[in-house]
Amino acid sequence: MWTTVAKGPAAVEAAVKQLLPPCQVQCPINEDIQRTNVLISLLPDDPALAKQGIIQIGDYLYEKNPFFAVCGYVCGLCELECNYQSKGGSIKRRLLKRFLADTYIDYLDRKEELDLIKHKENIAVVGGGPSGLMAAWHLSKRGYRVTIFEASDRLGGALWLIPRYRLPEKVLASTCENIVRLAGIDVKYNAEMGNGKLSLEKLQHEGYSAVFMAKGTPQPRALTFMGAEVEGGDLSGIEYGHTFLYEVSHGNISPNYFKGKKVVVIGGGNVAFDAARTAKRLGGDTALVCLECEDKKSKDGIPADHEEIRGAWQEGIRTIYSRGVSKIFGAGNNVSGIECPKCTQVFDDAGFNPKFDVSDTIKLDADLLIVTVGQGADRAALQKDNLLDERGRIAVDPITMQSLNREWVFIGGDLRRIGFMVDAMRDGIEAAESIERYLRGLDVREGRKWTLESQDIPLRRYYLGEPEIEWTPPEKRMHFELFEHGFTLPQAVHEARRCLTCGPCLSCKACVSVGIQNSLSEVEVNADRCSGCGVCTSICYYGAAQSKQVEGKRKSFTDTFKCKSCGMCVVACPSGARELVGDPMHARINEVYANLSGAIGG
Amino acid sequence: MAEKPKVAICWLGACGGCDEAIVDLNEAILQVADQINIVLWPVALDFKYHHIEAMKDKEITLSIISGAVRNSEHEEVARLLREKSQIVLAFGACASLGGTSGLANFITKQEIFDWVYRDAPSVVNPNGTMPQTVTKMNGNTVTLPELFEHVHTLAQVIDVDYYLPGCPPPPDLIAAAINAVLTGALPPKGSTIGPRVALCDSCPRNQRKPARIEIKEIKRIHEVEANPDLCFLEQGIICMGSATRGGCGESCISVNIPCRGCGGPVPGVDDSGARFLSALASMLKAESNEDAKRVIDSIADPAGYFYRFSQPSSTLGKKPLEKATEGENV
Amino acid sequence: MAYDPNVVCFSCKFGWDYVSDNKPETKVPENRVPVVCCGKVESNHILEAFKAGADGILILACQEGDCHYQDGNFQTSKKVYLLQKVLETFGVERERVRIEMGLDPEGARVEQLVKEMKTDLSKLGPVKRF
Repeated sequence: MWTTVAKGPAAVEAAVKQLLPPCQVQCPINEDIQRTNVLISLLPDDPALAKQGIIQIGDYLYEKNPFFAVCGYVCGLCELECNYQSKGGSIKRRLLKRFLADTYIDYLDRKEELDLIKHKENIAVVGGGPSGLMAAWHLSKRGYRVTIFEASDRLGGALWLIPRYRLPEKVLASTCENIVRLAGIDVKYNAEMGNGKLSLEKLQHEGYSAVFMAKGTPQPRALTFMGAEVEGGDLSGIEYGHTFLYEVSHGNISPNYFKGKKVVVIGGGNVAFDAARTAKRLGGDTALVCLECEDKKSKDGIPADHEEIRGAWQEGIRTIYSRGVSKIFGAGNNVSGIECPKCTQVFDDAGFNPKFDVSDTIKLDADLLIVTVGQGADRAALQKDNLLDERGRIAVDPITMQSLNREWVFIGGDLRRIGFMVDAMRDGIEAAESIERYLRGLDVREGRKWTLESQDIPLRRYYLGEPEIEWTPPEKRMHFELFEHGFTLPQAVHEARRCLTCGPCLSCKACVSVGIQNSLSEVEVNADRCSGCGVCTSICYYGAAQSKQVEGKRKSFTDTFKCKSCGMCVVACPSGARELVGDPMHARINEVYANLSGAIGG
Repeated sequence: MAEKPKVAICWLGACGGCDEAIVDLNEAILQVADQINIVLWPVALDFKYHHIEAMKDKEITLSIISGAVRNSEHEEVARLLREKSQIVLAFGACASLGGTSGLANFITKQEIFDWVYRDAPSVVNPNGTMPQTVTKMNGNTVTLPELFEHVHTLAQVIDVDYYLPGCPPPPDLIAAAINAVLTGALPPKGSTIGPRVALCDSCPRNQRKPARIEIKEIKRIHEVEANPDLCFLEQGIICMGSATRGGCGESCISVNIPCRGCGGPVPGVDDSGARFLSALASMLKAESNEDAKRVIDSIADPAGYFYRFSQPSSTLGKKPLEKATEGENV
Repeated sequence: MAYDPNVVCFSCKFGWDYVSDNKPETKVPENRVPVVCCGKVESNHILEAFKAGADGILILACQEGDCHYQDGNFQTSKKVYLLQKVLETFGVERERVRIEMGLDPEGARVEQLVKEMKTDLSKLGPVKRF
């Protein structure tokens, strides 16, 4: 079985010229997607041997991204930019990571603790969600003594909102627990900030040299209509989606809790669909109402993922588009229905500014309302901590995560800006870098902002279609087990092989790490021999062999960032003007030919 | 008065085109003739071999030898001139690369004799008479040179100092070669006189090539009316210019005929046929394997095309001269 | 004395035998030339092989559509098809150059494929030397 090497010539080099495959440009943490795709494609048929390989690949990903197992269930942003999209379908990177996670999670509990020497300062991380955990992980690896202050009784933050049928509990719990175990991170549970207990000043006095605030946004937004809270909001039977999903994740809601009840979920985001599909699984006759329209391409298009909408539709959840809620009716103390005027516009140039046509209004019956129209931060607390600017927004440098008001405070995650799990993780990584620079007296901002360029799709004769992903049929999946079937080993290898490896070799090196090559040979063009015939530019699939005008003549050259050292141009050159410098193939050929018996002179 | 350098010009297995090329220097030949002393030129002057045999070793400054080596007379003359000369120039494609007669290496000597003297439709040879190296008749003995089994380049028989390929070599390069000898400004031994890049470098059609050449069908030059402005390859016509040393002034291309490779390989390449084969295959654009095969099948005689002038110097075609024992029959 | 044909095998490293402890120092089997893509095999390499004493060339390529470098295996099949025609004119039978496409991470089939080729070549006899 191969053994991957990560050091020396097999190490990924810093993105020189900032050129990367589009998936890695899109990924907020620039994960080594290409390298690990290639490694997966080189797994053996034998499952036992493959396991060794999977753990090696997992270990590699884990170094920078200890959340990768969770990504395999809930992320997939990279797929939106994959070059294969227009040619048959994006590479199913999320499922490839899930495939790795399936084996890796079992191994994770046995993984050896990191050998760290924590000789640097104490850092406080407020919030044990993905942002805080990532910051704590990277700071610990750099030698800082980190303490996480988590308000609840478990790590994971908003990830607990994600239903079990999308993210298994074991994956989330194991991921969070092992991060703190492996890095030796101290965690204080039920340590809420504010309420006279924990405060920034207290942390400073207790000797924490810097604080990373990643408390998230646990305050659900209230349901409003035309700027005011909706009438009837005090009836019983109205729940916030947030609260509801947290309760479910704690196991506090019994199955069939909603049997015989009409549940209406208000909201159009992924969380709304999580709530609706959860309610359906708990027996409710569920519908979803949102301001946005069905056309995802329009500016007012529904924000939820296409897969969620499709899944919900399959499960029998009605989605009612372009409707607001102007009134909540009650029967006695309980909700009995809602009044929904047509929403004609959600966003204008200034931003969120819904407009309604009240002459077109429908009524929906409902026994229960679940409100999922967004969440926000505890502004009052932030104001007290002097973290807001004069306009009431969080005063923070978006590149360094450093507070603009208090230089030893850093802010990230949903608290800073609402985003995906991986955005929060990125904030945590950046904050760790910023804190290190701040404490070591280095410039916090220098070289932090860089623009990345995406590599184009390589040419080939024909492209392959994406694999079909199987879902358990709706009638058999009204429970909280996973309904999406992941990849088997042959399927994962096949899909990983489909990856076109668009990105430059410098940011990959997978072949070197498993010993397929010692190092990457560079193509050299002998300008004296090159006649500018253009055969090389005709055959290069990566656009690396190009021609330019030199003193009125055509000459070829190689763009080394795009070159894959495949040697097609070397073989095709009719003048033998191209060479792969240091290519060991020729020596080997000479060796073999010398061995052959009865060599004939010439 | 310093003696004028002696120059021998001789043809072996040749067509005479190379000698014609020297004559084609026109007025320039008179100036050249003025500065040298031609001691052998069978096509034009009346010197005999015994005149050469009588000379001292290295008395001839330059021997210009054209033609391939296929029989024992060629070998004898080549060795004689080598002995008596300071510099030997392999002149033309046949001497340098083997030439078109090199294509005979694809069949055996026996097959040649059977066809020419017995099986060809126009042959009337009821007694099956075949040429012999030694024939006794009427008390006399007459001899013929022995035909070798294989066509050889000059360098496979004697030590060659310089090469001037081309069928025939272009006049500029002929003049340059002779001048170099006369002035002593000689390149390193073993060099080929001429540019060091392929034809595309100076071909006027090169600048108009598309970024990617994609050949979907292959046509023979006589089957189509080729566009005189566009690269032949782009039009699906095989042109070996990209694998052939330049310096000929694109004389074929300029009359709308594709290059056939008489200039031989560029420096660093031994087998231009093989290199061109890879290049051509890579430019073929086909959707399926079947389609690619169909297009390749349409190439009539690929070996003949890629090795038209260079079979005896190609990887599989080159062979040192193996002498049969003395006095053997043909 | 039966003749044992010499087979030179070029094998693509992305499709064949990449799972074993594939360190560069590991001894490569005799007559095997591992290459990073079968498309790197030049026409002249094949001609030189015959010149040096090979009786057959076996190229182990990746499956249709599966080349790590996009279409290297297609380049090889075009090149070999054309080269086979040239070889025939030189008196070398087309069966002496063979391309086998497949995916064999542990290289389990390689020895058998070489053996099969040797068996087929023994029916042809040695290469008629040029």
